[in-house]
Amino acid sequence: MLEGLVSQESLSLNSMDMSVLERLKWVQQQQQQLQQVVSQSSNNSPELLQILQFHGSNNDELLQSSFSQFQMLGSGFGPNYNMGFGPPHEAMDECISRTSSCHMEPVDTIEVLLKTGEENRVIALKNKRKPEVKTREEEKTEKKIKIEAETESSMKGKSNMRNTETSSDTSKETSKGASENQKLDYIHVRARRGQATDRHSLAERARREKISKKMKYLQDIVPGCNKVTGKAGMLDEIINYVQCLQRQVEFLSMKLAVLNPELELAVEDVSVKQFQAYFTNVVASKQSIMVDVPLFPLDQQGSLDLSAINPNQTTSIEAPSASWETQSQSLYNTSSLGFQY
Amino acid sequence: MASADKLINTDVPEKDVFALHFLQSLSNLRTQNPLLNSPDKSIDRVKKIKNAAYVSMARAAGGTSRLWSRALLRRAAKDDNKSVRFSRRKRKVTWKISSKRRRSNQRAPVVEEAAERLRNLVPGGGGMETSKLMEETAHYIKCLSMQVKVMQCLVDGLSPN
Repeated sequence: MLEGLVSQESLSLNSMDMSVLERLKWVQQQQQQLQQVVSQSSNNSPELLQILQFHGSNNDELLQSSFSQFQMLGSGFGPNYNMGFGPPHEAMDECISRTSSCHMEPVDTIEVLLKTGEENRVIALKNKRKPEVKTREEEKTEKKIKIEAETESSMKGKSNMRNTETSSDTSKETSKGASENQKLDYIHVRARRGQATDRHSLAERARREKISKKMKYLQDIVPGCNKVTGKAGMLDEIINYVQCLQRQVEFLSMKLAVLNPELELAVEDVSVKQFQAYFTNVVASKQSIMVDVPLFPLDQQGSLDLSAINPNQTTSIEAPSASWETQSQSLYNTSSLGFQY
Repeated sequence: MASADKLINTDVPEKDVFALHFLQSLSNLRTQNPLLNSPDKSIDRVKKIKNAAYVSMARAAGGTSRLWSRALLRRAAKDDNKSVRFSRRKRKVTWKISSKRRRSNQRAPVVEEAAERLRNLVPGGGGMETSKLMEETAHYIKCLSMQVKVMQCLVDGLSPN
């Protein structure tokens, strides 16, 4: 008796935790229905089995599902109901109406127990007598539910398990499922587009983008490279340009080597001032040409370099400057032209 | 002069800097080898002037701040049998070998082959990743063109009218 009461009260507490606003409506509805049932059962007090069956059948008609019938009967039997209480919760996730019905029934039974003391005894006795049969029926339902859960996908099954274990609010469940679905969508967005998703291909893509960006920059530098399309053509053009420049350097160094005897022959009595004058002329021309460019203080730095870095080689540096002095006018013209960027 | 792209910084110093360094290296060359003007060593002289041009270019373009300039200076120091040590920033990796090890079918073979040729051209290109190679090539091209301009000016100025 007491045990059954306590267990059912605990169950009712659980159901209180799990129920939502929908429960209130069901409470109101089923209070009326169960009061009718109780009145009928009180009239037929000696025939306990019939009462319970009638009780179950009544609720069955109300809920219009055989599945809920087992839960109804199970909820009526306190001590053994704990055994079968798990699976109905799993079933709750499948349908909101079912969940609401599941939650309602223990509360209703308790109300019945509280209101009618005689019925309490009757139902308690029934709990002691009937449980074996009912537990078998509940086991069947458990199996069915488990099979259903197993047939579902792994992710959904996990979410269901989590929901049954932790959350009571259906709104939370739906939000969790939605977030998981969003994550899955995010993962599979690239796959849906037909793009690769693994790390290596992503890194390769980033690398290729980096290379192509720098190739575009190179394209701006190398003249005549804008007309060429395709990476290979561009690279060929760049290679040709580099080779051309290197050959030019070689050719110019050859020319300088040929001209060098003239440099050697140049007299060494030209002072550093003339060398400086050459560069100051250049700087002056530069100043006249472009104003906004930050100027390199050549006259100072040149003298500093010559004096400080290689003081013993000032004469040797004067040598080329001597030849420049002889051709100062022409050099000035050419250099001033060449120094225009 | 300043490059528009901030991500790829290939700023090259002024032409005067290149000219000064080149003249300085030329003068160094003459003082080191006073017998350069002998006719039997003309080829050697061409080579030396060329090396001087490259080294001066590397020095003008920021010394050891660039990979290609570091490679050029190291090569020059090796030629001069001098033991010049630069502070090593990276572990030396030859990308030629590692690129062969990679799955070559995932890469565009034409581009990789062209990049390989470019690695042979740019000094120190053997130890560069492809994107880095592009950046260094851009800077190298700028400096080379600058050097060519300087030498052209010198030749034009020195050549008899």
